[in-house]
Amino acid sequence: MEENGKRQLAIALVALSGVIYFFVCAIPLSRELILEPAWAVSIPTGAATLGLDRPTAGHGSRLSFRLKGSFGYFDEAGASIFAAPVSFGCAISDEAYVSYDRLPEYLSLRNAQGQETARISEPGYPFWGGGRLFVMHPGQVSVAEIGSDGKRLWTHDFPSVITAFDACPSMALFGLLDGSLVGLDSKGDEVLGFSPGGSRIPGIYGCAISPDGLLAAAISGLDSQRLVVLEKRSSAYRVTYHRYLDSNFRRAVDMSFTEDGRFLLYEQEGRFFVYDPSKRREAVVDSAFLGDLGLFSSAREILVAIESGEGGRDILCASPVGKRLFTLPFNAEDSSIALSSDAIFLGLTSQGGASNMLRLDFKEE
Amino acid sequence: MVRKWAFFHRHEVPCRFSRLRIDWVFAALFVVLSCATLAGLDWPLQNPKPSAHFGTAASGGFTTAIGLDAQGSLVRSADDGELSFVHDGRDFHINSLPSTIGTWVAVEHARGMIGLYSQLAPDSAAYYLKKLKKGSILGSTGASGWRKGEGLDFALYDRTAGRWVNPLLLMPSIEDKTAPVIRSAYLLRGGKAWALGETKSLPQGQYTIIVDAVDPVASGSGAAAPYYIRLIVDGVKAAELSLDTAEVKQGSLRLSSTGPRGFPELYAGDGKIILASKLFPRGRSVIQILVRDFAGNERQASWAINLE
Repeated sequence: MEENGKRQLAIALVALSGVIYFFVCAIPLSRELILEPAWAVSIPTGAATLGLDRPTAGHGSRLSFRLKGSFGYFDEAGASIFAAPVSFGCAISDEAYVSYDRLPEYLSLRNAQGQETARISEPGYPFWGGGRLFVMHPGQVSVAEIGSDGKRLWTHDFPSVITAFDACPSMALFGLLDGSLVGLDSKGDEVLGFSPGGSRIPGIYGCAISPDGLLAAAISGLDSQRLVVLEKRSSAYRVTYHRYLDSNFRRAVDMSFTEDGRFLLYEQEGRFFVYDPSKRREAVVDSAFLGDLGLFSSAREILVAIESGEGGRDILCASPVGKRLFTLPFNAEDSSIALSSDAIFLGLTSQGGASNMLRLDFKEE
Repeated sequence: MVRKWAFFHRHEVPCRFSRLRIDWVFAALFVVLSCATLAGLDWPLQNPKPSAHFGTAASGGFTTAIGLDAQGSLVRSADDGELSFVHDGRDFHINSLPSTIGTWVAVEHARGMIGLYSQLAPDSAAYYLKKLKKGSILGSTGASGWRKGEGLDFALYDRTAGRWVNPLLLMPSIEDKTAPVIRSAYLLRGGKAWALGETKSLPQGQYTIIVDAVDPVASGSGAAAPYYIRLIVDGVKAAELSLDTAEVKQGSLRLSSTGPRGFPELYAGDGKIILASKLFPRGRSVIQILVRDFAGNERQASWAINLE
C-alpha cells in the first residue's frame, strides 16, 4: 500500500516537471522569413535607352545591374531606371561605367546618368574592383589602374597570364597561370608575393581579398586543388588556413569575401563553402550554384546566391552555418542580383529577350 | 641614300664586348636545350600563316605570342600534354575580370612548358578534355578578344625559367624566302631626327640610332619586327637584338636574350626600333645595320656620315 503511494507520487512529480518544463523552458518559434514582391519594372531595350528622366536622389540608393544583353542603374524605390545594351563588354560599378567594343579606339568613362566624365587612352578592356578602375592590356599579362580623370595611375606587367582577380581599396590581388599570387598596393607596388605549392600542376584558379585587405585567399593548383587563406600579420602575409579540396576545376573558380569581411565563400562541385576566419571553421551549403557568390546581409545573417532549380533558377537564402533557409524559383535565361539590408533586387532576362527588374522585400511572418 | 646589299654575315667583325659573346653562348645553349626537349612540337594550325611575331610592338607593349591568321580552322595541341586552364572569353561573371586574349586554353606540355592557345572562337574551347595527344582539337580560330582579324595567338611559357619563349624557336620551320626590309634609319638628338642617307653631315655628339625595319610576314596581312638585328658602327658591333625570350623584371616585361630591354627602351613610336645611344666623335662614321628573319633571310644597309 505504502509502495503504491510512492509510485503515484513519483508519477505525479514527473508529470508536474513536464508541465513546468513545457511552460517555463519552451522557446517560441522564430518568425518565418519570406520574400515579398515590392515592385517590378521592365528594363528598356534598344540603343542606349534612357528611363532615367528624374534624378535618383530622394528615391533611395542607386544600384547597378549587368545582364547578358544590357546594363544600367536603378534606384531602390523603383522610380527610375537607366539601361543600355551591351555591345561587346561593360565594366560597371554603382557610380560609373565603361561600355566598349572589341577593339575600342579609346574607352569612355561615364557616370550613372550616362554622361562622359573622362576618356581613357589605355589599350585594353576595363574592369572594376574595390571601387577602383583597372584596364587589362592586350596579352592578359599587364594591368594599369586608371584615375577618375581617365589617366593612368600605374602599370604593372606580370610574369604570366592573369587568371584571377579581386581588389579592395588598399590592394589589388592577381592570380596567375604560373601559380603565383601577386598583391599590389594603391601605388602599384608589390606588397604580396606568394606561390602556393603542394599540387602537381601549379596555377591560381580563384582569389579573393577581404574589404580591409587583411585577409587574402586563393584556390590553387591541379591534382590536388587547394584552398589557401593568408592573413596579414605585422607587415607580411602568412598562411593561416589551408586544405586540399575535392575539386579539380580547370577554369576560373568563383570566390569572394562577404562585404563585411566576416566570411569567405568559394564554389565547389554542387555546393559552396563558407569559411569563417575568426573561428577557422567551414560550413557547406549544398547548391547547384550559378553565380553571384559573396552576397551577405549582415543585418539578417543571410547568404544569398543564384542557383539552378528544377524549373529554371532559384534565389537561394542560406545561413552562414550552412543551412538552406528557403528558395524562390524564377524562370529566366540570365539574371543578376543585388542586395540591400531589407530587400533583394533581381534582374532577369526571359527566354523571349525581355528584361525586368524586381524588388523583393524581406518580411517576417 | 647609300645602301649596300652585301652578305655582311660572311665578313664577321670581331666582337669587342665579351658581354655580347656570353649572351650569344647562352642563347645558343638555350635554343639547343629547348629544341632537344621539345623537338616534337607541331604547329597548332595547318598551313600556318604568321601575322605577328614574338616581341613585336603592339598596343603599347610586346606581343608574347605569335599570331597566325586563319578563318574557322581547327586549333590542335602542339604536343602531348594536359589541359590546365580553359577560359571562355565572354565569361565576365567572376569578379568581372575581362579577357583581352578572348577564349583561351592552356596546356601543360613537357618539361614545364605551357602552351597558350588564345583568341579561339567563343564557346569553341574543348573544356571537357584533360589528357591531350599531339593534334588533339582544342577549339577553332576566332577573334574573341583584342585581335585584328580572325586567327590564333599561340604562346609558349617556360614555367621552370619563368619566361616567354619565341615559339619559332621550337616549331617546324615555315618556308619563307622574303627578306626583312629596312625602311629607314635615323639619328635622334634633342627630339630632332636626321634620316641616314639624306643627311651627309652632322655636329659631333651623342645620338640615338633608330631603325624602321620590318619582316613582311607570310600572310601578307601585316608586318612584324625582324627576328634579329645587328648594329655596327665603324666596324664595331654596337648593338645586337634577337627576339628569343621575354621575362618580367620588377613589374616590367623585358626581352631578355641579348640583355634585358623593356618596351620603352626598345620601341619608339610607330614600332620603330631603338638600337643604341652612341657618342659620335668628329670625323667620318659608317653605320651598318643587318636584319635577319627566322628563316635566315638577311638584309643589310650602310650609311656614311661626316661629324663636324
